[in-house]
Amino acid sequence: MESDRKRDRRSWDWSSPHCRTQLDDIFFRHHDYIQAGSAEHREFWTFFDRFQRFKTKKDMCSSEGGSRNAEDAKRKDKGKSSKMDIGLPVEYDARYRINLSVCTRDIEERLGKTGHRSRDKSSGPGDQEIADCRLTLLHFLDFWQKQSFSKLAKLRREQKNLPIYQYRDKIVELVRRHRVVVVAGDTGCGKSTQVPQYLLSAGFSYIACTEPRRIACISLAKRVSFESLNQYGSKVGYQIRFEGSRTTATKLLFLTEGLLLRQIQHDRTLAQYQVVIVDEVHERHLHCDFLLGVLRTLVSERPDLCLVLMSATINIKLFSNYFGGAPVLQVPGRLFPIQVIYQPIPPEEQPSRSEKLDPRPYLRILQGIDHRYPPEERGDLLLFLSGVAEISTIQEACQVYATHTRRWIVLPLHSTLSLAQQDKVFDISPPGVRKCIIATNIAETSVTIDGVRFVVDSGKVKEMSFDPKAKMQRLQEFWISRASSEQRKGRAGRTGPGICYRLYAESDYDAFAPYPVPEIHRVALDSLILQMKSMGLGDPLSFVFIDPPPASSIQTAVTYLKEQGALDNNGDLTSIGNLLSQLPVDVVIGKMLVLGSVFNLVEPVLTVAAALSVQSPFLRSSQQNPDCSTACQPLHSNQGDPFTLLNTFNAWVEVKGERGGGSRKWCRRRGLEEQRLYEMVNLRRQFRDLLRSHSLLEGERNAAPDGDRGQRRERLTERRKLHQLKRDHEHQEKSKRKVLKLEEGQDGDMSSGSDTEDTRRRKKDKEGSGQDVDIQEVKFKLRHNMSELQEAVTVSQDMSSRHQALLKLLLCRGLYPQLAIPDEHNTTRKDSDQVFHTKNKQGVVIHPTSVFASDPEVLHVPEHDARETGPDHKESTKHQLLAFVTLLETNKPYLSNCVRIPALQTLLLVANSVDSNADCTRLVVDGWLEVELKEPEEALKVLSTALTLRTEWERVLQVQLGQSAQAESAAPGVSRKALEKLIDGLVRFLLYTEVIYCLQRLTALQIQNLYIGPSSDLSRSKIPDVNPLFPGAKLKPHHIKGGLIVTSFFTYNCLADSRDLYSECLRTFWSCPNCDLYMPLTPLERMTHEASCRPAGEQQQLEEEEAGREKATSSSVSSLTRVFHCDVCNEDLTLTPTEILKHKRQHMYSVK
Amino acid sequence: MEQNTHQSSSKTFICQLCDLTSPYSYYGQKPPNTRAIVLLEECFVTRDPFSPDKEKFLVLGSTCSLCNSCVCVGQDCSLFYTKRFCMRCVNKHLDQFPHQIQAELAKKKDRSKAGVS
Ligand SMILES: [Zn+2]
Ligand SMILES: [Zn+2]
Repeated sequence: MESDRKRDRRSWDWSSPHCRTQLDDIFFRHHDYIQAGSAEHREFWTFFDRFQRFKTKKDMCSSEGGSRNAEDAKRKDKGKSSKMDIGLPVEYDARYRINLSVCTRDIEERLGKTGHRSRDKSSGPGDQEIADCRLTLLHFLDFWQKQSFSKLAKLRREQKNLPIYQYRDKIVELVRRHRVVVVAGDTGCGKSTQVPQYLLSAGFSYIACTEPRRIACISLAKRVSFESLNQYGSKVGYQIRFEGSRTTATKLLFLTEGLLLRQIQHDRTLAQYQVVIVDEVHERHLHCDFLLGVLRTLVSERPDLCLVLMSATINIKLFSNYFGGAPVLQVPGRLFPIQVIYQPIPPEEQPSRSEKLDPRPYLRILQGIDHRYPPEERGDLLLFLSGVAEISTIQEACQVYATHTRRWIVLPLHSTLSLAQQDKVFDISPPGVRKCIIATNIAETSVTIDGVRFVVDSGKVKEMSFDPKAKMQRLQEFWISRASSEQRKGRAGRTGPGICYRLYAESDYDAFAPYPVPEIHRVALDSLILQMKSMGLGDPLSFVFIDPPPASSIQTAVTYLKEQGALDNNGDLTSIGNLLSQLPVDVVIGKMLVLGSVFNLVEPVLTVAAALSVQSPFLRSSQQNPDCSTACQPLHSNQGDPFTLLNTFNAWVEVKGERGGGSRKWCRRRGLEEQRLYEMVNLRRQFRDLLRSHSLLEGERNAAPDGDRGQRRERLTERRKLHQLKRDHEHQEKSKRKVLKLEEGQDGDMSSGSDTEDTRRRKKDKEGSGQDVDIQEVKFKLRHNMSELQEAVTVSQDMSSRHQALLKLLLCRGLYPQLAIPDEHNTTRKDSDQVFHTKNKQGVVIHPTSVFASDPEVLHVPEHDARETGPDHKESTKHQLLAFVTLLETNKPYLSNCVRIPALQTLLLVANSVDSNADCTRLVVDGWLEVELKEPEEALKVLSTALTLRTEWERVLQVQLGQSAQAESAAPGVSRKALEKLIDGLVRFLLYTEVIYCLQRLTALQIQNLYIGPSSDLSRSKIPDVNPLFPGAKLKPHHIKGGLIVTSFFTYNCLADSRDLYSECLRTFWSCPNCDLYMPLTPLERMTHEASCRPAGEQQQLEEEEAGREKATSSSVSSLTRVFHCDVCNEDLTLTPTEILKHKRQHMYSVK
Repeated sequence: MEQNTHQSSSKTFICQLCDLTSPYSYYGQKPPNTRAIVLLEECFVTRDPFSPDKEKFLVLGSTCSLCNSCVCVGQDCSLFYTKRFCMRCVNKHLDQFPHQIQAELAKKKDRSKAGVS
């Protein structure tokens, strides 16, 4: 027996999985604290190996420790003799230091009993093995406790060390005692992470904390939940445009300013929150300024709401005063001393307006640093420039120097870089080498890089401003403010003492404006005004802003919104305006969405609207790479950039469907930033939800049953796996930063797809291929239903030319009045010199990223088609205009995201103002474009068709929008047939109208003498007293232009060459194709007739439809017939407009 | 304003030596879900905030077996050797501790001195 046991002992092998499993059955059972198969279990066995090695080593060392024991015994005696005995055991044992034990006696006993019976069992672990394992487990648990506790202690230590910590009680007290509190503290004082926690632990719950940037919401929520020991709970959450981690348990929520405003739109008093913290108020973003205004009113309405404003120590008084002298708590920041060196650029190195920057002043600083500071002294350099072009100039020069000295790694940092490239600035440089990060003001507040010791400040910034006159955005270079200057300087002292080189004189600094111009003074206020209207805040001019924008800029916005049809003439929201105010996008894009859903063209419109709302996925640097541009070629559409974006998105979805994560490579090869496509797919979905919630889209298409149960289960399993992957990724401690290579950035900004590929591959190698989880792909799969998406894409891929034309028209109606006309001399100019004009800005060019920049010929009037009739007048049927999304002036005014459109057809269908002469051969659109038609007959026909189509279009739109406004009411909408017919009519008109005309801009002189003006010699009696197009409305003379207002957009016969309205020479015989009418008519009469006369069959259907609607709206009079009082017969007649016309004509002939 | 109304785990542990403060959810020798594990002293216990597993616990501290002061388990505040001793008591009775512990404490003292200078 004894010998048997010995043999078994020898056969026990700790490293054998079989042996370990036997111990697992004792210590790590299914219900145990640590379970076999868990991460802790794996850690335990790793720990076990380490612990055994440690023990063996220790045993060898202490084999001659016999005398020590005697010593200990002596100590024991001495202790006894001296003072009170604290009762410690005589012999030292490390396990006495562990305050826990593991009891497994029950199982051991069970095993022990059976162990003697069978040989099999006796080969299992003996007492010694079990004891060894237990001891190790004890040490493992102890180690684990120590590790977690030291994390906790470290956390608390760091919190205590923050400058704000000593104000903790003060802050809580202030918030308890005052309605509004301002906490002002500089970078590094810890206000953003700590103040919410202080309030949380003081017992406040339902706290909202707004941030200007989405990324800050995520990182703060992560940090604060970690610090408040709720890393794995949802007490602290975030919510941003597309995603959130909020649950019912969430007590503290980080969200963007814009999102809180949206919440106020639905929950006017913000009843869901007890405390609102507005962080970074000093940054003065548009949304923030507005939010403060709204909260100011709310504070007086809700006595239980607390408001905390957090700011840098900039202009604190402004905020305090705005809230009636709210108490201010000022917290010192934690910055190391920073030496400021003023090094103004000498005059000979100053760049002139058109020239590139001179790199010499910058290179001197690099040289100076190399000269003065030994390379072992770490510390990177951060260089602030105004824009991307400036960055690449200086980067190029610095790179040459860096390659030569091998002491620098030069990295650019701006928002148009790919995220992977942006991420490089956080990597670490090898010893003896410094990073030289050349950045825009993105690094001033948005991106914080540790380890910067030197800051170089050019003192310049490029800022967007809005020019209301030219309706143009402008990106201009300015001197920064003293506040920004200090902010930039501060970046050098975050981790140690630093140096700031200012490339301007101290006198310049003193002359800087104290603060940056707040955004509300720089940008177009359209969206803001729209939102104010929808929140019922009254007259925007009387709203109390913290720093009110100029009244003219509010006025411009109101006018623009009226032009766009979002506000009516009284400045109230229209039904479409109400919808637009709910969409977090530009008004033009919102319009597209609404139009797209009305016309059942949702899929492509969703994609285009999303694409136009995010940065372009085409990376600029890669588009100069011939390989990339060749690969992109099939995606291009010469219809316009929105179509290229649509193709790109569709192709990407297809690739994702086939290859999943392989899309990353596909994008890389084409120089596409995949992140933007992910943003698009998210935005697209948000748009869809919004349209749905406004009943503009039918509910969830009942997804076809997802295969059999097996397939469903498979999907479920996959989702679970994806969720796990996402969680793992989120909980991963920030991965260790990579070490940069000296060659990094040597390809400079010219870095193409292939460079990015290298970087990615390098990363991948490091991470180990197995763990290379594409988290974007995981999130994508979780959020979107691939098959649904593919279906949507198929719909927009198989677009017929008919649908394409319709899409174009809808885009155009959305974008209107953002139109540009090609210059008449473009055909004779080089590709790069093509010029365009908008109504308010002459001489604009197409942005090089646009498809029309490389292919301008498609915009020219084909030579064979054109007939030269004058020096600048070309007759053709094929004139085109450009509709564009943005007009932005940088060094030149650029049009971006353009679509080409047939000129006359589109203008007639979308323009707000069309004026004509007597025979309609001359039209002026929006007071700046002149159309001259060759044939009066054709002119009349085209105009008449357009009027009819537009009337119907308006009607359909009103019905559909009215319906969505009443949500579930059962009012019959527009019949499918009527809609199809309208679409057919519009497309036909757009594609197949063949009219010869000239198109030109009016000269200033022409504009002055455009209209005949209200005239007295047109005797009143001659004006028809009814407007047959819109029964019930009178045909009125236009009191400025003269002529007659036919519809809200069309004024007849008001142009200066106009003739007498009823002069007989205008009367020509005409037979109506729909009825048997044949008589001499004036153009106006003819249009009137055409507008109301339909082919017999259709007429009937229309009337039926009318009848149906009548029932629903219980209106008593059909909109087609009306009561007409004939002065001649002196009788009231109920007639249709055509009948009225016929009736009157009858008298005309008989009386004469 | 309602405060502390529904905070179930609002019991707070504070170390009397270093002021470390943290809410605790259990006091005793047998925290929930610990199965075969038993604590050898009465402890202030919370759920381990650094583990994704809800069932893992973390011992924050306990009371000194000699002076009854409430101390955290951090090395600078207390020591466990069959019983919990706060650092003040350890220093008072240092000679009764085994030489291994004495040596360790001396080494730590040296290190912290070096760190200060
Ligand atoms: Zn302590
Ligand atoms: Zn004590």
